[in-house]
Amino acid sequence: MKKTISKHFFLVVAVLFCSLGLSAQITINGQVTDDAGIGIPSVTVVEKGTVNGIVSDFDGNFQITVKNKNSIIEVSYIGFEKVVMEVGNKTTFNIILKEDIEALDEVVVVGYGSVKKSDLTGSVSSVKMEDIPLKPSNSIDGLLQGQVAGVQVVSPSDNPGAASVIRIRGGSSLRGGNDPLVVVDGFPIGYAGDLKQISPQDIASMEVLKDASASAIYGSRGANGVIMITTKKGAKHTTEVTVSQQNTFSRFNSELNLWRDPVLMAELSNESRVNGGFVPVYIGAEDANGIYYPSTGELKNGAWPYNTRWDDVVFRDPVSNNTNLAIRSQTDKTQFSLSTTYYTNQGVYIDDDYNKLNVNLNIAHKIFDDKVTVGANIIYSKGNRNNNGNLAYWRNPIFPIYEDNNSANDYYLIGAQDYSHPIALTDKRTNKNEFKDFIGSAFVDIQLLPALKLKTQLNYKTGHSVTDYYNPKVYTEDGTFNNGSGGINNWDNDEVVSETFLTFDKTFNEKHKFNAMGGVSYQYNETRASDLKAYDFLNESLGNGNLAAGNPEKQSVSNSLSETVMYSGLGRLNYVYDDKYLATFTVRADGSSKFGSNNQWAYFPSGALGWKLHNEEFIRNLEVFDEFKLRASFGISGNQGISPYLINSRYGQDQYYVNGNWQTTIGPGYVVGQDSQSGKKTWGGIPNPDLKWETTRQFNIGGDFAFFNRRLKVTLDYYNKYTNDLLRERLLSPSSSYDRMWVNDGEIENQGVEVTIDSRIFDKEKWGLNATLLFSKNKNKVVSLGDELASGLNTDALTGMKYEFSGSQVEAFRSIPNILAVGQPINVFYGYKVDGIIQSEAEGLAAGLEGNLAQPGEFKYMDLDENGVINEDDRTIIGNPNPDFIASLNLSANYKNFDMSLFFNGSFGQDIFNTKSFGEPSTMPLRWTQDNATNNYPSLRDGRTVYMSDWYIEKGSFVRLQNFSLGYNLGAEGIAGVKKARIFINGTNLFTITDFKGYDPELGSDGIYWGGYPKLRNWTLGVEFTF
Amino acid sequence: MKIKNIILGLTFIVGFVSCESLDVEPQGFYSDKNFYKTIEDAEASMLYAYDGLTSVSYAPVTYYITELSSDNCIVKPDEGADAQAFVNWEVNSQNALLSQYYRSIYIAINRANAVIENVEGKGFNPEDEKRLLGEALFLRAFNHFNAVRAFGLAPLQKSLIDKLNETTAFLPENMEEAYAFLIEDLTRAIDYLQVNRVTGRVDKVAAQALLAKVYLFAASAKESGVPKYDTILESADGLYAKAAEYAGYVLNSQGEYSHDLDLQNIYNVNEPNGPEHIFILSFDRSGTQEGDYSKLSKYFTPWLGGATVYLKNVDDTFSPTHDGWSVFQTTDDLYTSYESTDKRRNELLVSEIFDESGATIGTTADGFIPYAFTRKYIDPLFEGDKTSTRPYLIRYSDIQLVYAEATANNEGLIQYNQIRNRAGVSELADLGGLSKADFRELVIDERQRELAYEGDRLWDLRRKNIVQQEVIQAAGLSPEVVAFYPIPQREIDLNPNIN
Repeated sequence: MKKTISKHFFLVVAVLFCSLGLSAQITINGQVTDDAGIGIPSVTVVEKGTVNGIVSDFDGNFQITVKNKNSIIEVSYIGFEKVVMEVGNKTTFNIILKEDIEALDEVVVVGYGSVKKSDLTGSVSSVKMEDIPLKPSNSIDGLLQGQVAGVQVVSPSDNPGAASVIRIRGGSSLRGGNDPLVVVDGFPIGYAGDLKQISPQDIASMEVLKDASASAIYGSRGANGVIMITTKKGAKHTTEVTVSQQNTFSRFNSELNLWRDPVLMAELSNESRVNGGFVPVYIGAEDANGIYYPSTGELKNGAWPYNTRWDDVVFRDPVSNNTNLAIRSQTDKTQFSLSTTYYTNQGVYIDDDYNKLNVNLNIAHKIFDDKVTVGANIIYSKGNRNNNGNLAYWRNPIFPIYEDNNSANDYYLIGAQDYSHPIALTDKRTNKNEFKDFIGSAFVDIQLLPALKLKTQLNYKTGHSVTDYYNPKVYTEDGTFNNGSGGINNWDNDEVVSETFLTFDKTFNEKHKFNAMGGVSYQYNETRASDLKAYDFLNESLGNGNLAAGNPEKQSVSNSLSETVMYSGLGRLNYVYDDKYLATFTVRADGSSKFGSNNQWAYFPSGALGWKLHNEEFIRNLEVFDEFKLRASFGISGNQGISPYLINSRYGQDQYYVNGNWQTTIGPGYVVGQDSQSGKKTWGGIPNPDLKWETTRQFNIGGDFAFFNRRLKVTLDYYNKYTNDLLRERLLSPSSSYDRMWVNDGEIENQGVEVTIDSRIFDKEKWGLNATLLFSKNKNKVVSLGDELASGLNTDALTGMKYEFSGSQVEAFRSIPNILAVGQPINVFYGYKVDGIIQSEAEGLAAGLEGNLAQPGEFKYMDLDENGVINEDDRTIIGNPNPDFIASLNLSANYKNFDMSLFFNGSFGQDIFNTKSFGEPSTMPLRWTQDNATNNYPSLRDGRTVYMSDWYIEKGSFVRLQNFSLGYNLGAEGIAGVKKARIFINGTNLFTITDFKGYDPELGSDGIYWGGYPKLRNWTLGVEFTF
Repeated sequence: MKIKNIILGLTFIVGFVSCESLDVEPQGFYSDKNFYKTIEDAEASMLYAYDGLTSVSYAPVTYYITELSSDNCIVKPDEGADAQAFVNWEVNSQNALLSQYYRSIYIAINRANAVIENVEGKGFNPEDEKRLLGEALFLRAFNHFNAVRAFGLAPLQKSLIDKLNETTAFLPENMEEAYAFLIEDLTRAIDYLQVNRVTGRVDKVAAQALLAKVYLFAASAKESGVPKYDTILESADGLYAKAAEYAGYVLNSQGEYSHDLDLQNIYNVNEPNGPEHIFILSFDRSGTQEGDYSKLSKYFTPWLGGATVYLKNVDDTFSPTHDGWSVFQTTDDLYTSYESTDKRRNELLVSEIFDESGATIGTTADGFIPYAFTRKYIDPLFEGDKTSTRPYLIRYSDIQLVYAEATANNEGLIQYNQIRNRAGVSELADLGGLSKADFRELVIDERQRELAYEGDRLWDLRRKNIVQQEVIQAAGLSPEVVAFYPIPQREIDLNPNIN
């Protein structure tokens, strides 16, 4: 208080002096330098108490005219200590600015509050959007890629609106979900994956809470880490209008691997059919379905005229557009920000489109002598998606598009059951989705006492989505069987989160700094869905526009409603002693309606210690470290990714025909799935009152180091994450009438190392170069899959290892490639080993194979148990889809008004199961034949039983130039009224170095490559003006 | 300061007052919290118990177990190993079909128990309560009887299972305990039920009929020395007498069900309420999924080229049918067990098929039809694969033969002869020179011919202890192996109370 009064007094005096005009104006000049003597550009020099101010030039020189010699000038620049001085009699000033450790000390948002970065004890990474090159991205997922060590962002799909997969420190759950929680301006809006509501342009910063000390404050939702998003607010004392426009042009980054030579295709097909003992197709006759296939001769001599490039028909070079208009302002009392983004995104398939409009408004206003701040954030987004993906670019090129070249609508169909004509589907089928989302929060922030603050925030979110679909009588399978089928699918979600907490912040005796927080939270979520379907349409012209026109006896409706409620209490204590020793303790209690009655409340404590050694005399004396901090933390967080109502008994519903009518039947036991082997229904519905969250105990030790005037910063972390009580389904004895029940059983361990090296390599007057290197290594291990019998685990014949299959069957191999095995990483590949290709029948028989599989040209499977027969007992672990480590390198440079950045991203050591290793146009001609006795490829043989084997496993390591950008900042002087103008060009996915033979090695966590089409390379042109 | 206090107070109120409401009412589905409130609920739950019998894992699987393992049918050669195992008597505890059958039995039992627990003494109208209880008790016994016939000593589920600690049932001590349970349920069912025919449901007559069958099984099994049946306290003769008593009620004490003189009419898919059908399962071709409609025809009919074929009826009209999957194929044993004049061979087994105009397409003689197939499961109004063909669970003729076997006297002979007479084969003039055992053997042979493809043959062979003798693939196996299938492995793995 004393300080402020004296400050105010000083001001008043200054103003008084000014207004009295005690003496004449003086022009002063000078240079601002850092302590190395290098001039600092753009330093603000202001005459205190006036609006009179200028900025220094590139060499740090400035000139300012002040009222008189009693004027006070303030010289300030971000990251340096402010210099305040009276002009006096001097007219030339050489001002040396010292780097301000405290100001460099950015404030980092953590759950329910914020902390100075230097006081952090947990592992929290902060990403300021202004520090990273503007990347054209539809959602926040893309922005995070390569920014934070320990965070893996994988984008397996280029589809419009497709979500990325974000993993923080590896997956710690099998069935409960691995997506981190996302909190936007204090509102926990859900799990990462599909955050289409937030426009990337509106984000100011993102903080990633990685260890339990940081994430345990989110309790039963914190185990997968937390991403805190802060949206942009108005900048101080200005009004800014920003307009930006980006256009993105995309194209495949490699050629498609499709048949261009129908003759070769036909010859190889015939060869394959003959080898398999089937009648060849390309013989100039009708096949079993009555479709005429030309002979290879007809194809060769041109008697058969067609060679359609279906990929040209189906694909396009997509163009996307992103327009943003924002107004932001802040006065002493009020700040507001209004931002509007319109985004359109073309898919690579024709008519596969996406667009959305985002409006983001936030306002805060101070009342009651600035002691109370009230505010609101509102986000509205609305969009459309026309789904026209998965068109048949792989269609047989010997068939034309139209019956008689180019009479539209007269599509050439391959037989009566042709459901893949891409143009027919594009023209006649409907599948579109419209979504609307609203996110609103209102808060009141009250300074009750100088040290005590109360904040209460009420958040509301609602989302609505409608999908319209219609499958016509011809061209679609469902439509053909049902004589036209259509429907409307509605989805609706509401969420309310109300949170109130008190923060106490006080320093005692200048050495004991306390910050304590305590609060409560209430959360309610409701999801409703309904599906209206009709079949058997008389007239198709309305599509699904009039479902009542379908056969009234065949209409079907279904709907669902689910609710969850959660109450929480939470608290945190930060204590700093003498700016050297740090301690943080947090606790959260969550009570959730999803938890069983025997486990309704969960408690999540954490604790962390830190030691700022750079504030110790003996370290300071070394004069090496600008920062030297050690941290250690331990805590417990949870994962409550359970469907609601698993704790309730659940009845099934069916119908029984009595007295000439169908009657509804209801009773215990309902269908929860299908048996993977028999295809028969599996039954559940027995409640588990013991069901609870998954528990993750995480230990973290780390350090933050800075050298050379903070030009080199290094952060190291080691963590060990141990998750138990995994949510799983156990088997029940069949005499119970139930097959499965949800339980907590199983354990997983993740441990890893994260390194961040950040350096300003050159920091010269006119140019600079920064480099950031991230390295993350995570190793996971399935420790337990629960009780062997209750989980129905399989036993590996060779090692006795217990395992279960994970994921779904790959048809071509009639097996599930991934397993969860005790003692192994998640999702390792399981199958046979292949020792080349059999060259003679004798060799095949000697290898333990028989019949067709022992013939020359077949895979030589290895008899691992050496019992003379090849069977299921010869399977073993043949690969691991988890990378050994991931790394990324960000280089950014600036020269005068130019800036440039390069971002390399890499993933190393993972294996890929390439289902397309053989049988594609590029590999089929390399087949084994009598004349080409290769050891690399098998022969072509239709009907071959192919086993999952290591022959299909490839190395998946890659390094990719993920992003390149080049920008130019036009000087503010150039155009009247324009404060800032920037143009830039940005390229993503520019090149990839890899040994992988498929289109792209960036895959989902199961490591299965399905083929498909190449990834897109994107070039974006953008302009941005600030007024 | 005042404001602060108010806000502080509010914070704690908001936070802690409502903590008791963590229980969220289930929405959008039924559970024990919102169901069984009205008689309509109880009725729907009763039908859910019947519906358990229509499951794809139950109704069709019954025939794998009872027909393939007997001398009636073999399975098509490319059917899976689990199906072949029944023909070859190589069924082990891992057999998936056997596991499905076992599990389906207990699903149906749990549904019946749900009715019993939620109806008994819950204040419904006494008439409704009795009717529903009677039906549920019947179904509990019906399914347990399947378990006992298939697996011998199998768990007896006496109450609804809705907790983990209830999922590890004990085996009954012995057959006496198992049969006492069956008999008690059926006795109560008879007491509660009235004669009231509804297709697809059961009434008093069905309960009497089933109880007669239970007694007959116990009687003949004990008499024939089937393993474990020696623990039954009542004498074989006493049990036969009880079987005769309850079969007698069916034959003599009601007017709803009777002997149908028209052989083909018994199997007319459009007459499920014919005189013979004491308990027939309900399916209808208008259903949306298998289990609502039936594909039984597909199992028994051979593949005949894929097109619609026509079967000649006794009145020289033709009935169309789709062809099938050739799963259950008639054995020569069964075919030759009929005399050449037997209408059950000439009218119910198909050896010649026709086209729409009545011209012959093919015969068994010319090899076009791979085996003479039954027309007990033919639906002329089939829609694609969907039919209304229904399993005949208890037929009047069955109970006539139960009575004949149980009494083995002149009263029984009348019933026996009525069956033979309808089939157009010679009657047995009298019992002269025949011991009771001799006559009972004749009845067993007659049961094979009369009830072929109806899911009863294996049970007859087992209770007479003649599996090894009648089924070539079972020759030489031990009495224990042929008398009971093994309890499925998953039950043994997960239920510590069974080993």
